[in-house]
Amino acid sequence: MSEPTNPFVSSSGRRATCMEMLQLFLDGEVTTEQREYFLSHMDHCMPCFKSYQVDMAIKQLLKDRCCGDGAPVDLVAQIKAQIIQKDS
Amino acid sequence: MDEGVRQVYTEAEKQEIFEKEFLPHINAMYNFGYRLTLERDDAKDLVQDTYFKAYRFIESFQKGTNAKAWLFRILKNSFINDYRKKTKEPSKVDYQEVETYYNSDDVHRQITPDLRVDSLKDMIGDEISNALNSLDVDFRTVIILCDLEGFKYEEMAKILDIPIGTVRSRLHRARQLLKDKLSEYAKSMGYKNT
Repeated sequence: MSEPTNPFVSSSGRRATCMEMLQLFLDGEVTTEQREYFLSHMDHCMPCFKSYQVDMAIKQLLKDRCCGDGAPVDLVAQIKAQIIQKDS
Repeated sequence: MDEGVRQVYTEAEKQEIFEKEFLPHINAMYNFGYRLTLERDDAKDLVQDTYFKAYRFIESFQKGTNAKAWLFRILKNSFINDYRKKTKEPSKVDYQEVETYYNSDDVHRQITPDLRVDSLKDMIGDEISNALNSLDVDFRTVIILCDLEGFKYEEMAKILDIPIGTVRSRLHRARQLLKDKLSEYAKSMGYKNT
């Protein structure tokens, strides 16, 4: 089976590196064509596959553990009071 | 985020935009403020100030557009212009070096991860949060915007006033630094890196 055309080649003709493709894929910044190309690329590129697993796990960990418990309960009231006060 | 076009709103419309488009982002804004300043009181002040400015300049905001990105941009600017001046001057990151690194031919070699997924699964305490907080604020910011808040590169470029290429390279470098930090934690937890 022949390799599909690489949709990651820039207009200047430069091919994206594994790391660049991985980052775009991870962040959902790829076209459908690029997505399919990279998924098939990962089937035979073990470093990309391993890195993807780690990067996704970190992304998920950040989302789960670093988004905080929310703003203090009185913050909205304070903001509204400040606007009313300075508006009048 | 087109600041050039001024809108005309009635008082009732202003209130509606503020309530329905600005206030729903309060938790994300507070977390952004906290992750930038690393102080809860400062985060509160920064968010309060941001919302005050957002209301004052509400006519620069087009109803129904990306309120979250607009608010994040105001907060980021307030942080740089007001907060950073009051505190110590931040360390300057050599971005030229970052660009060179990202575009170098060595990138293939560096893709092999130094961390294992099973070691990350055991990081159930404050490891990830501490690792994030330990990064230089400019690196921390891109991770917050991308991984915590899910902004697209184009939105990040507008929030930070930098080209998309710089967003990509800064994000790449930030993640490398975060992984270095997490590797240290993994080692201290008894994991041997590959």
